Amino acid sequence: MTTILILLAVLPLAGTVAAVLGAAARAAGYAAVAGAVAALALATYVLVRTTTEGPSQALAGFIYVDELSGFFLFTVALVVLLASLGSAAYLRVEEHTGTLSRFQVRLYFGFFGAFASLMLASLTTGNLGMLFVLIEASTLASAALVGLEARSTSLEAAWKYIIISSLGVTIALVGTLFLFYSATGLHLSANQGLTWPYLFHHAGALAPASLRLAFLLAVIGYGTKVGLAPMHTWLPDAHSEAPSPASAMLSAALLNTGMYAIIRFLALARVGLGDAYVQRVMLVFGFGSVIIGVLFMVHRGNFKRLFAYSSVEHMGIIAIALGFGGPLGMYGALLHTLNHAVGKSVLFISSGDVVLGYRTRDARRLHGLLGSLPLTGGVLLLGSLAILGSPPFGLFLSEFTIIRAGFASGSGWLPALLLLFLAIAFIAFARTTTGMVLGRADTSPQATYSGAERVLAVAPLVLGIGVLLLLGLWIPSGLNQAILASIGAAT
Amino acid sequence: MESLNATSAAGVLLDLCGVLMLLGAFACLGSKLFNRYVVYYGLQSVVLSAATGVVAFHFARIELWVLCVLTLLIKGIAIPTATRRLLIALELKRDVAVSTGLSTALILGGGLTAFAYLVIRPDLLPHGVVASAVVPLSTAIVLLGALEMVLRRHTIAQLIGWLIVENGVFLGAITLVATFPFIVEAGIFLDLVAGVLIMVVFVSGLTRELAHANASELRELRG
Repeated sequence: MTTILILLAVLPLAGTVAAVLGAAARAAGYAAVAGAVAALALATYVLVRTTTEGPSQALAGFIYVDELSGFFLFTVALVVLLASLGSAAYLRVEEHTGTLSRFQVRLYFGFFGAFASLMLASLTTGNLGMLFVLIEASTLASAALVGLEARSTSLEAAWKYIIISSLGVTIALVGTLFLFYSATGLHLSANQGLTWPYLFHHAGALAPASLRLAFLLAVIGYGTKVGLAPMHTWLPDAHSEAPSPASAMLSAALLNTGMYAIIRFLALARVGLGDAYVQRVMLVFGFGSVIIGVLFMVHRGNFKRLFAYSSVEHMGIIAIALGFGGPLGMYGALLHTLNHAVGKSVLFISSGDVVLGYRTRDARRLHGLLGSLPLTGGVLLLGSLAILGSPPFGLFLSEFTIIRAGFASGSGWLPALLLLFLAIAFIAFARTTTGMVLGRADTSPQATYSGAERVLAVAPLVLGIGVLLLLGLWIPSGLNQAILASIGAAT
Repeated sequence: MESLNATSAAGVLLDLCGVLMLLGAFACLGSKLFNRYVVYYGLQSVVLSAATGVVAFHFARIELWVLCVLTLLIKGIAIPTATRRLLIALELKRDVAVSTGLSTALILGGGLTAFAYLVIRPDLLPHGVVASAVVPLSTAIVLLGALEMVLRRHTIAQLIGWLIVENGVFLGAITLVATFPFIVEAGIFLDLVAGVLIMVVFVSGLTRELAHANASELRELRG
């Protein structure tokens, strides 16, 4: 199992190795895709294995996977595959239109691989100190992707991202310190006091005052990476300035990795402090994010910023689901994580096709994509409906579960408030995307895909929409079991 | 875990170091010259290194001695030197990108210090151990560093703010949990991050871009 986990975290580096060896977009793209396919296969194996056989650990807890990490590994590996396919197509066009130099393309694949690999690695460690190091390292790798295009706006976005995230993760380190302090009364060895399974085993005996502070600091710290309001300010800039497949990785993989770290702390706090405190913290940050995200979605302009604010909103929804708690809330949160990851990857990758075709990120200048870029336009429309939670897509089911969990938790007006904001989000978001997709096209797109690029570009879109549709109509029993097992691992 | 007693010699020294570091953070907040930021940060790091030495001596822990030496070499000498070079290369003297006046900044800083004492309430830390005196100080240093990052818009000032936050975190770490197993690794790693940040500022010429960018150029990143 240890070998498999190490291999899983190392495989996405295939693209990095190719880029370092001097490959152009074509070869590096294929290498990245090959690595991602293999990583997804291994992640699926790990998911099955942890679901059936329970957790396993090695190297004194530095390597630890349980059902929860299995589920997140699968989600992130799936996103990495979609984004690798998208990158392979996107970067090839950028290379031969000359928008990005060959060096920039190599830089992209180099850091893309490192970013993916660090995120997968952070999901396979049980040591909370190591988790901090890996998550901060993934910030550095992804900041290079944000600043790749080297315009003054993208450099500004990259700086903002790196400095805010570093501050956030440093705060998470303080949280980790207080968690360790709360365990000093127990007779754990120094290393065990930082290793999640041991801490979870003794969670009831952790000193409550410092555990409370540790949890709050972890939510603020890792919440900065998740994009919970009011720590979300880096997020729209970074998502709109990064090349689109990299935005997909940020939104669908990085945010989830941060959420995973929060869930680890939340599991400890829920046992050690009881439900009430955890619920209050998660609901405050969750509703804050939903409200901020939705309000900023009303503005019609840069469509990548719109998708980014939608990510803030969805992370808020997941936080709310975690706050409602109970098996139903947890189930909704995890299912929503998977659904949102796939849906947002599809949206960002298709937005990349629009950026390539029209060289603009302004929604007001785009009309009739359904006519000029039929497939991208169609996917954009379906993807928007999916991300807004319309049936028959997966997000409908998960949001419905979360609302039900809200009513089940005994509060009537909180889920009602959530519904209200979901409705506002629907109107705001759909107003922009339908305006882009429908109507009559004024101009035809400049650069489009040809040959093998077309296959690479279409594959993630079709695959993603397919998965969303599948999850909306029927949850495979294996996935159902995996989610139930993950809930068992964290409660 | 054994804790430092507040009245022991080591405890008093540690407390003193904490106070000096807080003063350093205030000095940075109250200054407008880039050179001063670097000097105050360097002095603060030297004091942090001394504090680490005190704890290392008291508990006779080899990894804390390593941290003490590394702090002195990297944070006390290397980072200030590199930043100073950066300032000379980019011809930076006065920081004009400040959001508030200095007096407002200092008042806000005082408020945050009081807040730090409020948050670290007595039920968190037992009385009599030095941590109950130093952890509020380190929390205040963290908050002051963060305040500097918020109030100053220049990349180098923000960088120094983050480094001050880091110093505060490590002061808290060595007093609260001297046995924290990850402390040296985390320290080295964060220094690496700082190095990368300095390189980013230098290589990309970002400083120039940001210092000269006016509101209209940044319009794209609003809202």
